[in-house]
Amino acid sequence: MEKEMLNEHEILVIGGGLTGLRAALEALRSGRDVAVISKVHPLRSHSVAAQGGINAALGNTPDRGEDHWEDHAFDTVKGSDYLADQDAVEILCKKAPEAVLELEHMGTVFSRFENGKIAQRPFGGAGFPRTCYAADRTGHNLLHTLYEQSLLGKIKFYDEYFVTSLIEDDGKCAGCIALNIREGTLQAFSGKVILATGGFGRIYNRSTNALINTGDGAFLAYDIGAALEDMEFIQFHPTTLFDSNILMTEGARGEGGYLRDSEGERFMKDYAPEAMELAPRDIVARAIMTVVNKGRGIEDEYVHLDLTHLGAEKIKERLPGIRQIALDFAGVDPIEEPIPVQPGQHYSMGGISVNTDCETEVPGLYAAGECACVSTHGANRLGGNSLLETVVFGKIAGKKASEEVRGQKADKSSFSAAREKDRNLINSITEKKQGILYSDVLKELRETMFQHFGVFREGEEMREGLNKIKLLKEKFAGVYVESDSKKFNQALIRTLELRNMLLISEVLALGAIAREESRGSHYRTDFKERRDEKYLKHTVVKKEEAGPELEYSTVNLGRFEVKEREY
Amino acid sequence: MKLNIFRYEGDESYYDEFEVPQEPGQTVLDSLFYIQENLDDSLSFRYSCRGAVCGSCAMLINKVPRLACRTQVKPLLEGQDEAKIKHYLALERGEKIKEKSVLVEPLPHLPVVKDLIVDEDKFFEYYREMKPFLQTDAEAPEKEYEMSPAEVRELEEYTNCILCAACFGACPVDGENLNFRGPAALAKLYRFHIDPRDDEARLKLADYEYGWWACDFHTNCQKVCPKRVPPNIAIGKARAELQQDDNQQEN
Repeated sequence: MEKEMLNEHEILVIGGGLTGLRAALEALRSGRDVAVISKVHPLRSHSVAAQGGINAALGNTPDRGEDHWEDHAFDTVKGSDYLADQDAVEILCKKAPEAVLELEHMGTVFSRFENGKIAQRPFGGAGFPRTCYAADRTGHNLLHTLYEQSLLGKIKFYDEYFVTSLIEDDGKCAGCIALNIREGTLQAFSGKVILATGGFGRIYNRSTNALINTGDGAFLAYDIGAALEDMEFIQFHPTTLFDSNILMTEGARGEGGYLRDSEGERFMKDYAPEAMELAPRDIVARAIMTVVNKGRGIEDEYVHLDLTHLGAEKIKERLPGIRQIALDFAGVDPIEEPIPVQPGQHYSMGGISVNTDCETEVPGLYAAGECACVSTHGANRLGGNSLLETVVFGKIAGKKASEEVRGQKADKSSFSAAREKDRNLINSITEKKQGILYSDVLKELRETMFQHFGVFREGEEMREGLNKIKLLKEKFAGVYVESDSKKFNQALIRTLELRNMLLISEVLALGAIAREESRGSHYRTDFKERRDEKYLKHTVVKKEEAGPELEYSTVNLGRFEVKEREY
Repeated sequence: MKLNIFRYEGDESYYDEFEVPQEPGQTVLDSLFYIQENLDDSLSFRYSCRGAVCGSCAMLINKVPRLACRTQVKPLLEGQDEAKIKHYLALERGEKIKEKSVLVEPLPHLPVVKDLIVDEDKFFEYYREMKPFLQTDAEAPEKEYEMSPAEVRELEEYTNCILCAACFGACPVDGENLNFRGPAALAKLYRFHIDPRDDEARLKLADYEYGWWACDFHTNCQKVCPKRVPPNIAIGKARAELQQDDNQQEN
């Protein structure tokens, strides 16, 4: 029997990664009763896998003079191919130094220069060594720090709860329904909602993302009327380990690593003669794909990330994590031989549309971090800016949501109705005796996305891809789960995730097809130029009765004039 | 290839053998997914990053606690498993390793919830008991605390811990007495003790029978740690410091 009980809180944070924990801490500091609901234990969140670092204009590098937030902002806007909202970028970069210092004071063990200050390394697309790091385990160190801090106060953690719906009550978001994965029961939660659910990389078959990155928050927000923005902009990281696609940090190139083709040539000289290996990710990823397509790859699949000239000592001190990964997952010791790498999906620049206070268009619903689109990254994110976004905007979301917490009780009937709807959906999946395996649909979706909406895109191919997605959506109605187990029914969870991924894929496809230009990560072989007059705009998709509807919104320009991007 | 997997739900436990195709580079986690997606969708196991950083998938594989995502099946099938740990009680239980088959069981010393999933509440309770957070009252810092690269290197030995609980499942002392706070919790406490930014008196927090003093230095913790964290060294150093403090007081 499912209890009709309502778990009442003032603020519900959905997602326990860096954004979620930072938001929860801020809500707690604002005196709110806050709960974190996450489908995994917070320490298992994907933030833990971030390697290279977090950007802040601290200017710590000896003999390099001062750094300024304006320079950080310029690099970010240029890197975004001018699609980022410059007011959001200003907040991001201005608040970066205090955000990093705060994390340091909370306990993060950042790597240090000899003078004792936080060490900073060069990163792609940045005009200054601005990326603070904890060896190549920055995300791990930050996530553990914020989790540690979250133990100091009374944050209620609901670990291993999968949110199935958000509750709409009188035009506002009033809470959510979540499946207790451990028990199999559906439970109701009331409170303002902050979505911090991360990206949706797992709609692609080659992705650096954790297997849990299925875009649940974007689906939930869309479903109650919030808009999704710039979903077609997908970052492909140039250097993921061949086959397993585990991330090989940009820090490896920041520390001086080279990219070489099958002839041993540093091919980046043909694509970004100034920046070479440290050009922005979209440019390097396209260069690698071009090299492989021209037959200069190794085994026609990958190129080499060569660190051998850096020496054992530097590799062991600055890049111990990726050395271990290369050893464990490819049997390659980067001290001795180059690492086989290929581009793979890495980050979702788009997401739930929010203003600079992290508010969606639905009152009571907030979003921050990778699941949101403020937009600080525009058409291409710079390395080291995503960790920064999690803490800067996680904090803003926590603070904003803590203002004006409504005293009135939500109408319980809306919770009962939502729970019944979700129970019926779950029953329709588990009560079928035969049908289609979720894994077959998922596999086909992932292949479709990489093939039709990958590094290079073309109109006709994308339209074909969209048709495939629509067919898969129809197929989904026939998906069944054989197990009727209540406890840890992961096939059921993965089926619900698949529902979310199918919707996101469709929205992504619509945006990509409609955008007849090349900008940042969105590269079209049939429209190779950036077309500012028509497309210097954000794509906005909303749920309408007939399905997703696409429109455009203006980009907030500012101090930096829109120019051609050269590196 | 074959996988022999421990199954549990309700009050029923048994072993299930599955035939799984073997690909180059295949990990135990890949094999578990193959089963869940193609053979039996009721199989449950924790997963997230699949890259040995999140700590979700620690389990007992061929009688050694380790991460399923980081463990290749090939050497296990060919009898070339290099992981060697000191034998302990929990390894006596359950089925034995069969030839050309990988044996997968839940992590020892924690109650099983379902199949390969254990209840980690106790593990995290001990972790929380160590007050694992830096004590600071600076609200809006103007600059960082300075630290030398050498101080950072020593701290990194311990901050690398991913709290996967493999060490807890490998500790013979925990196997005999679950009151022992275990390697991970103690290593975490030591990490804050040596942090030059933290001024709390830390070592006293585990200065009792089931804290620093229960360890027998079997060193299984360090051997199974996917990040090579050495809790045994932390425990040895903490004891030495506490003894020195005692001696100084006596003098």
